[in-house]
Amino acid sequence: MALTVDKASKSFPGVRALKDASLELKPGEVHALMGENGAGKSTLIKIITGVHRPDGGRLLLDGTEISLNSPRDAIRLGISAVHQERNLIPRFSVAENILLENLPRRAGLVDYARANAEAKKYLEMIGLVVDTRTEVRHLSVAQMQMVEIAKALSHEAKVLLLDEPTASLTGEEAEALFALIKRLKAEGAAILFVSHKLEEVLAISDRVTVLRDGETTLIGEPIANMSRGRLIEAMIGRAERIAVVRPPKPATGAIKLEAKGVATAAGHRDISFTVRRGEILGLYGLVGAGRTELARALVGKDKVTGGSLSIDGKPAVIRSVEEALKRHRVGYLSEDRKYEGVVLLHPIRFNVAMTIWDRLAKVLGFQTAAGERKAAEPFARQLEIRTPSLEQAVGNLSGGNQQKVSLAKWLAAKVDLLVIDEPTVGIDIKTKAYIHELIGKLADDGLAILLISSELPEMVALADRILVMHEFRLVDGFDNDRSYEAMSRKVMGAIHRHADEAVAAE
Amino acid sequence: MDPAPRRTISSFLLRGSAQVGLFLILVVLWAVFANLAPGFLSKFNLNSLLRSVAVDIVVGFAQMVVLATGGMNLSVGAIGVCAVMFSGYLMQVLGLPIPVAIAGTLALGAFLGWLNGFAIVKTGVNSFVVTLASASLFSGGMLILTKAVPLNGLPPEFGAFGKSAVGPAFGSIPAIPSLAVVALAIGLGLYLLFKHSTLGRQILAVGANARAAEMSGIPVDRTIVFVHALSGALAAAAALMLTSRLAAAMPAVAGDDWLLPSFLAPVIGGTALSGGIVSVVGTILGALLVSTIRSGLLVLEIGNFWLPLFLGAFLLAAILIERGRAAYVAREQARRAL
Repeated sequence: MALTVDKASKSFPGVRALKDASLELKPGEVHALMGENGAGKSTLIKIITGVHRPDGGRLLLDGTEISLNSPRDAIRLGISAVHQERNLIPRFSVAENILLENLPRRAGLVDYARANAEAKKYLEMIGLVVDTRTEVRHLSVAQMQMVEIAKALSHEAKVLLLDEPTASLTGEEAEALFALIKRLKAEGAAILFVSHKLEEVLAISDRVTVLRDGETTLIGEPIANMSRGRLIEAMIGRAERIAVVRPPKPATGAIKLEAKGVATAAGHRDISFTVRRGEILGLYGLVGAGRTELARALVGKDKVTGGSLSIDGKPAVIRSVEEALKRHRVGYLSEDRKYEGVVLLHPIRFNVAMTIWDRLAKVLGFQTAAGERKAAEPFARQLEIRTPSLEQAVGNLSGGNQQKVSLAKWLAAKVDLLVIDEPTVGIDIKTKAYIHELIGKLADDGLAILLISSELPEMVALADRILVMHEFRLVDGFDNDRSYEAMSRKVMGAIHRHADEAVAAE
Repeated sequence: MDPAPRRTISSFLLRGSAQVGLFLILVVLWAVFANLAPGFLSKFNLNSLLRSVAVDIVVGFAQMVVLATGGMNLSVGAIGVCAVMFSGYLMQVLGLPIPVAIAGTLALGAFLGWLNGFAIVKTGVNSFVVTLASASLFSGGMLILTKAVPLNGLPPEFGAFGKSAVGPAFGSIPAIPSLAVVALAIGLGLYLLFKHSTLGRQILAVGANARAAEMSGIPVDRTIVFVHALSGALAAAAALMLTSRLAAAMPAVAGDDWLLPSFLAPVIGGTALSGGIVSVVGTILGALLVSTIRSGLLVLEIGNFWLPLFLGAFLLAAILIERGRAAYVAREQARRAL
């Protein structure tokens, strides 16, 4: 089925999200939809899947105009979406999830034998090998995604929307997904592939549509005519900025934090390292290596069970994030922006001031909105948070701007050590380059930074030293010589060596 | 660039907060009741309305402060009953001076609320479950200790306060009952807490997103224990007001009867059940709405059996009208944003 969006427009309070955006999706093609955060991608997807109704413009399915009043309408017409936020029910089985709306019944009761058989058929179509009776919560993220695709197929989806499908997948899992996408395409499905990752888009799609500020700047361009540079230009309106590379500098600042043989409740053993003021210490590892868990232990969220930590040269026990912030001046910029980074319901000024209420308080803890605005203003300006007012609820901002608010909170707190966890996940290229530049500047100003990232280019561009974590241990550490090839060889070598040793030990 | 405000109903509705709609509904209801039943605006009725609504408002506050963190306190009534009997015990049996008895009763309420908060934080069990259990525990303990015998020999000054009023009366409009003044004073205190204090902001941050609050260095557990202790103290305050109004300490006056009103007033007034948003003014208006409807129906001499039905219908209508207004505002704002 061919799906056409013809000059769709949509406005929300305060923003014009889409303006005459067009898209043409043909059967048997993988069509990439790209754009920065806030460019209108989500809105366009929501229009196609019946979540929003456009204010203007038309939606055509095989040339006939359609009107979608709910996601159910879209699904009935064969348009299914696999979202970033998974829509599976964790305690239901794989089969129940796939066939949720039309479980086979016998005498009014669910016929599980038939349900399992039917679900298995869909799993075979996508090549996923799991027991259909397994509860979904026991699956890996990649498997859950496959189950969602199976669910879409069970709706006889002819148009499939994949929204950032590789965001939380490992390289191998992503490859498996791409193989599946190619197979579905060969069977005639029309696939809309939404992604931030240029390489993926160039590798897998046939055509591309690009959104910028709610308008389509490229409509269905064959990917063969495209290059990285042209795509980026279409997205941000100019050629790519070269990633900021901090000039190598000897670490001379005072030691802010020293870990000696630290063990944690999460399972770390024998973790030793130091971070100095003015230094960016990189902590690299694959997903699941234990980096975020270490960060949480360092800021008092999880328990340190062995070894010792010292801060500013004095032994320190950190029992809570509050203690980390107030006593030790250590902060943590979470990778989980929406759930741990910001309070979506409350205004920007509230979010930025959250870490400094103690300092803003007058007699008897008296606070004013004006006081918060005054405190938040310089940081909002420094970070170029795009908003009409600091009274705007953070939930109304784009992902990149939300991340800036989360960062502003720690800048306002004037911490000495900031643990920065995956600062640019799901953030558009322009904001990403900007955040990189900023992290470098913060270190130059004397902040000690522990940078956690699974993007090696980001590490190489920013870190002064790179520690490698694998299976909750630090397996190696290198000075960063800013050469991507050399560093990736060293880092990957360390991980493989450790993995081999682990196998040999068994 | 706001366009110059036009003096139209739509611009009035737009500029007002959620509470404006509620206020308008109240005005309409008062007009209707006053027309249908002249007794509604009588000095006697208004006075009794204000004195009972004063208690309802504070009961609503006791729930509101916990709702702010996204939790709930099902034991407001039980704490209220304990406080009623404890205040009577302090004044009548022990013969303590009234101010000491008041302080002691508030302290008991705060302590029982603190127990709730402590149990919630230490066990990690949902506040619904914990306070459901403690509600039985508290009222059960009170029944055993007091044998449910009312205390009628309170100091006369204490009962007199419940009937007293402040300021001169104008014609049929009565002077303001002291109890209503107490409720407004407590409301002012809470308004300052949520609008202008570190603690209030911490409560709202915890209610909106406890994880983000904790990861920003806010003491989430302490905040939750605090709101429960505050809720207990407010329930005790409502109990004292009620005891003063009735001039006697009776175990049957609070308890389960408080549960529904405690939720109705804040929720009608715009406090979010999911936490993070509170409205002190809304809670006052919400309590007024419930009491107005009840009092109006009584004055109209609608049979007792019909009362709950009408009350439900009116409340539903009021909530729907407010929702409609909110939706209209959102649409208008979207249109103006273009």
